[in-house]
Amino acid sequence: MSASLDKLLQNPRVWKGRSSLQQKAGLPSGYPELDRHLPGGGWPPAALTEILIEQYGIGELRLLMPALARLSEAQPDYGEPGWIAWVAPPFQPYPPALRQYGIDLSRMLIVRPADASEILWSTEQALSSGTCAAVLFWPEALDDQASRRLQLAAEKGHSWAIAFRPMAARGQASAAALRLELHPGGTQHADGQGTNVHILKSRGGRPTVLNKLL
Amino acid sequence: MSRAWKSPVTARDATPSASQQVLPFLEPAPLTRPLAPTAVRRLWFCVWLPGLPLEACRRSDEATAIVEEQQGIHRVLLADARAQAAGVMAGQSANAALALLPTLALEERSLPREQQALEMLAGWLERFSSFVCIADCDVLLLEIAGSLRLFGGLRELREKISRGLRRQGFAASLAIAPTPLGATWLARADRRVCIRNEQNLAAALRHLPLASLHWPQALCESLRGMGVTTVGDCLRLPREGFVRRFGAEPMLTLDRALGHLPDPRHSWRAPERFCVDYEMTEEQSDRELLLNICRELLLSLEKFLLARQLGTQRLAFSFFHLKGAATELRLGCARADRSAERWLALLRIRFEQLLLSEPVIAVRLQSGLTQPLQAESVRLQFHDAGGGQQRRYSITQLAERLVARIGDQSVHSTSMVAEHRPQYAWRAQSLLSDWTSTTLSEVRRHLRRPLWMLPEPALLPADGAYPLHQGCRLSLLEGPERLETGWWDEDSMSRDYYTAINPAGMRLWIFRNRKQSPAWYLHGYFG
Repeated sequence: MSASLDKLLQNPRVWKGRSSLQQKAGLPSGYPELDRHLPGGGWPPAALTEILIEQYGIGELRLLMPALARLSEAQPDYGEPGWIAWVAPPFQPYPPALRQYGIDLSRMLIVRPADASEILWSTEQALSSGTCAAVLFWPEALDDQASRRLQLAAEKGHSWAIAFRPMAARGQASAAALRLELHPGGTQHADGQGTNVHILKSRGGRPTVLNKLL
Repeated sequence: MSRAWKSPVTARDATPSASQQVLPFLEPAPLTRPLAPTAVRRLWFCVWLPGLPLEACRRSDEATAIVEEQQGIHRVLLADARAQAAGVMAGQSANAALALLPTLALEERSLPREQQALEMLAGWLERFSSFVCIADCDVLLLEIAGSLRLFGGLRELREKISRGLRRQGFAASLAIAPTPLGATWLARADRRVCIRNEQNLAAALRHLPLASLHWPQALCESLRGMGVTTVGDCLRLPREGFVRRFGAEPMLTLDRALGHLPDPRHSWRAPERFCVDYEMTEEQSDRELLLNICRELLLSLEKFLLARQLGTQRLAFSFFHLKGAATELRLGCARADRSAERWLALLRIRFEQLLLSEPVIAVRLQSGLTQPLQAESVRLQFHDAGGGQQRRYSITQLAERLVARIGDQSVHSTSMVAEHRPQYAWRAQSLLSDWTSTTLSEVRRHLRRPLWMLPEPALLPADGAYPLHQGCRLSLLEGPERLETGWWDEDSMSRDYYTAINPAGMRLWIFRNRKQSPAWYLHGYFG
């Protein structure tokens, strides 16, 4: 039975819903519930991830911190740890806090380009250089074409691109492999913020709503 | 016995009282005494460039003459062979020369350009000797005693230099003598001789005309009036009378030329900075052409740096316009480098954005401070990790590219500083200066710090004692954390920090001043 099934699956005419991406192991996010819903069991590596938020300060960075900390450690197959680039962050990423989350500060690159086109240019350079393990960027605008371009650059440089965009960009088409929406959970949670994560689009996965993840 | 007393070693070792006894024995050496044979024999190679004004300015193959303004009239200073064939001679007025040869190209004499050519040649000659000296506006001297073996003897060396000069388009008269002045005079008199032995020097100099000595005009005139026309005639005159009549200076130069007196010279060193102009015959605005010119300049920079085993971190291009100020373009890179290709890649990024208001007439490339180049060893990679992992360039190269396009201030790394005041607990580090990141202190884990920091604390409106954010009351989650420090400088602070949350779910890091006005401030977000 299984032999004949295998044979059937070998046939290139059979379309498989979760195809090639599943072989690529994802980057563990540090949140088991999120990992369960992401194909590959984590953030899509070498791809563009979009995070849609209405306001800063609702846990958008904390969501990424465990994965970034892991990237800034030495990786056995890579020789030396990768750099983490921040392109056009809205405020100053605060080193003492980053250190608390385990980020290696000596491998942080902060870039503040002057205008929108240079943000995209710098991001593309950083992604395709092959030295940055992750590139966080805050584009003023990101159209379909630009997102496709950055997605290709991320694949080429084997780098994880994370775009932070306003909620208004929700309706726009995007080439990102993963699109998330973050909604603050309210004031009643003293320990955590109770931020809800909505998976809008996940290549090889399904849209989901994860309540009170953070 | 007396020899032993005279020896300087004894004089130095002797006690003060003893040396006072010794001093009377030391007479000043007579001028005519031959120089004591030293362990190192020097041999001077003189390159005299009589056609330098012409050669430095030559632009085309046409018949050319160099003119110089003398008493308000432009007179021909030098004419090339083709102009001379048409009858153009030195001393003619420019109009007369043009009448003889209407197609004659007249060039104004340019001393800076001659100096530049001379320095270029001196730089080239540095490969033959460690001691090169620019002795006059058209004379170069090399000390070659130490170079003879390396270059396979005097004949070989002379042939090499002469061939190289010819190839670069310079006609030179070469002479070799044991003293620098002797070599210069022989070269100026166009006696292409080679004197290795000091004993033969006097005989060779005797026949030189006084004109080749470049003594003051008045002195030469009066000597000629006395029937003195050669160096030999001068030497026959009684020394005391000569010195009394003409001063000590001419006699001293004679003594130096003959080797009776030492003649120390300054060694010329090629500048450690690179600065080269590329001048165009007409204005250009074609960007591709300009980029090619920059490429050529970068290639010559590479050669310059390669010869010295140096690299540089900064370059500056200047694009000169006929009208208006020059357009500047500066490049920087993280590690001292000389590779023209790498600089060109950086230049291309910047050149795209460069606005040239006017056509360009000349381009100058200037290097910043040079520094010894540190070779970088690259790891051997036996198995290329098949998919996608290949590195296109290093982080330094990435930083250079970013800096080239968006500026030095906009690209940085960060590090922590051991400091309690939150705003001073970190600093930005330029990527192009020092790479070394210092991990100064480990953060105490129990202190909550926000991931986002505002550049300046923002004043929050207040409703009574409660701080407001986006029009809503904030509820305080944690705190206070009292920070009271910095009394040693002007920026002392005394604050109570709280973690607060607003109804929209944003987590804020706020503080209240304790000393000054008790207002609330927002200092960061827990991103």
